[in-house]
Amino acid sequence: MNFKKSPLLMALGLAAMTTAATAEIKVGFIGSTSSDTGLSTLRGAEIAIEELNAKGGVLGQKIELVKADTAEDPTEGVKAYEYLAETEEVDFIISGSIDDVSLGWLPRMQEFQIPTLDTWTSYVGIIDMIVEDYDSMKPYFMNIASDEALATLYIDFGKDVLKEKMGWEKVIILQEDTAFGGAIAGLVTEALAPNAGIEVVDTIVYDITTNDFAPLFSRAQDSGADFIYLVSSVNSQVVSSQYVKLQVPMGMTGVNVAALGQEFWEDTGGAGGGISTLSPVPSVGFRLDPVSQAFVDTYQAKYKSRPVMPHFNGFNAYHGVKQAMAAAEEAGGFNNTTWVTAMEKQDLKLDLDGEPWLRYGFWGNDEVEPRTGRTYPHNARFDITEPYEDGSPSMVVIQWYEDGSSAVVYPEKYATGEFTVPSWVKK
Amino acid sequence: MNLRWTHVVMWLAFVALMFAIPEFVSKGTLRTLIFANFLAIFAISWDVLSGRTGYISFGHPFLIGIGAYTSAILTKRFDVPIEFAIPAAVVMTMIGGIIVFLPALRIKGSYFALVTLAFMELMYQLVQVIRPDLTGGTRGMSGVQTLTRGAVNGYYLSVSLMLAVALSMWLLMRTQLGTALSAVGMNEESVRGSGLSTTKLKLFAFLTSAFVAGLGGAFYVHYLGSIAPRALFDINFLFTIIVAALIGGASTIIGPVIGAFFLTFLLEYLRPYLPGAERYFIYGLIALLLYMYEPKGLIALIDKGWQRLRGAADRKETV
Repeated sequence: MNFKKSPLLMALGLAAMTTAATAEIKVGFIGSTSSDTGLSTLRGAEIAIEELNAKGGVLGQKIELVKADTAEDPTEGVKAYEYLAETEEVDFIISGSIDDVSLGWLPRMQEFQIPTLDTWTSYVGIIDMIVEDYDSMKPYFMNIASDEALATLYIDFGKDVLKEKMGWEKVIILQEDTAFGGAIAGLVTEALAPNAGIEVVDTIVYDITTNDFAPLFSRAQDSGADFIYLVSSVNSQVVSSQYVKLQVPMGMTGVNVAALGQEFWEDTGGAGGGISTLSPVPSVGFRLDPVSQAFVDTYQAKYKSRPVMPHFNGFNAYHGVKQAMAAAEEAGGFNNTTWVTAMEKQDLKLDLDGEPWLRYGFWGNDEVEPRTGRTYPHNARFDITEPYEDGSPSMVVIQWYEDGSSAVVYPEKYATGEFTVPSWVKK
Repeated sequence: MNLRWTHVVMWLAFVALMFAIPEFVSKGTLRTLIFANFLAIFAISWDVLSGRTGYISFGHPFLIGIGAYTSAILTKRFDVPIEFAIPAAVVMTMIGGIIVFLPALRIKGSYFALVTLAFMELMYQLVQVIRPDLTGGTRGMSGVQTLTRGAVNGYYLSVSLMLAVALSMWLLMRTQLGTALSAVGMNEESVRGSGLSTTKLKLFAFLTSAFVAGLGGAFYVHYLGSIAPRALFDINFLFTIIVAALIGGASTIIGPVIGAFFLTFLLEYLRPYLPGAERYFIYGLIALLLYMYEPKGLIALIDKGWQRLRGAADRKETV
């Protein structure tokens, strides 16, 4: 034996032992790393992992986060999932993917059977897939209320506020030409008119590159509608700021993704007053329970770039990663049977001022939601019936006011302000 | 047909190399190779039409989409067995190829390119609006039947398809018909002047291209297991196909294959170092520099390198 080499051999041996002792649990992030929503999921997961590692990790091992960008493209999503599964061999995947991207990689999830938690997509069709084929879909969880619950809340808002309080009876839909736009506009058209008694008089579909909305707003005014229902997820700040600058003389509400973020006021150059939108919880203007507030404090101390405040899916990722790791502790790993059973039982109830406020749990596999009369296995346990004491509200409606402040305006339990039209609109 | 024994040896070596790859690489790399194989098929298909005849198509995803959607709808919505769905998808795509061909009777150059781009946009709109119960509308379809499971099986299927397409197209292009197609791209008037029907030649090129696009599209959707309008009728997808053909070397068969492998691996190998959107910038920059340095593509660079090596070897022998 060449003794000159022995220190080197010892060092290599030590390195190998050290590696064995710090073998890691790998968590994969799949989503866009350049959008506010994608970054919210990523950062929520990062903070959860840091906190878990500070307490010794999970199953006695440190947790490592690996990122795979989807660029919000369905095919890139498939590649990203394959990369996490086969190159990185992750144990668990946290997703900040949008609808068609999640649908793109779902067949890979079914193939690899890796426990996966979606924090952004709310497509109820994915929950239907779990209902139809539980065995192959069981590692999948979605901890945001599905869009069916979103539509239900919007109908309630339509009835209670738009129709009864504002007296509006006719709506025109202003919808962007995207998958998201088509889906939400479809839900509103099918549900709002028959249930809330508000007639859809017309639908305007616009290209996401549109930068002059004046002709579209004129068409909306000529339609005879009382208000505009906007569905916009891309560059929503453009349509919002033009609505304000042109002082369009009719109310506008709907789904406006830019208005979900704390940067909305800045993005519209201060021209965002009067804009309201449905938002998953916790939203801007939403009162936070102490646990969620502590997460926001850590987030804001750690990240100085946008989004300065995590979007709802950041909270979902933060709590969701912790629940997934707690399930792994309980199940002794990420086995797709024992882990799934343990994850199904996760239930985090967060109170504010002594009353139930938020809940991160899942519907039981055979449990029927009373209002819709159907099951939602592995979907966030949402509550769409007042007084919202069983789970989290599916969504809230928020509004930006002309002074730059924002508030939750519906439902009443969570309201911190009142729904109103901008000053230039005749009441 | 001008065939030499060196051609046979090189093709055999290429096939052997491609089939031996799973023995030496990880499953993750195989997944990347699968996407490279499909991109190579699409790039060959584009090259048969645009690289040869000079009719630059910006609507190739239109053809690939017809193949993919037809097979996905037939298998998922109507329970048609895959073995019937794929041929039906190819036939539908060839009908689509005739639709793309029609404008080529009257227009060429940038006008033709714009019309084909309109086909892609039209298809993007149609699949979302017309019968969303069949197409899955804006979100597309998930849970489409897959032909294989696992990276190794997927690789063997995709590489077999890619090699079959590449070899048949290579053989076709070595016939007089192939030569005539290339001549159309060089000077359509001269070809017409020589008594050949350029209309028939172009129709043949369009149908062949559509055949390959349809075949590739159908197999692609049964590999992915999902389909979405945004994934197929997308300008990025179109540019990736065109760039693969151009950067590899248009009007060759092996060029688009090399281009497809180069682009796919470049993007995937950058992923661990640049997990975000920055890798697309690097990818675009490298593609641009390569194209500026050698407009004839990587195949020309490889050829030059090979000639230099042979020259050096010859000089050594002489000495």
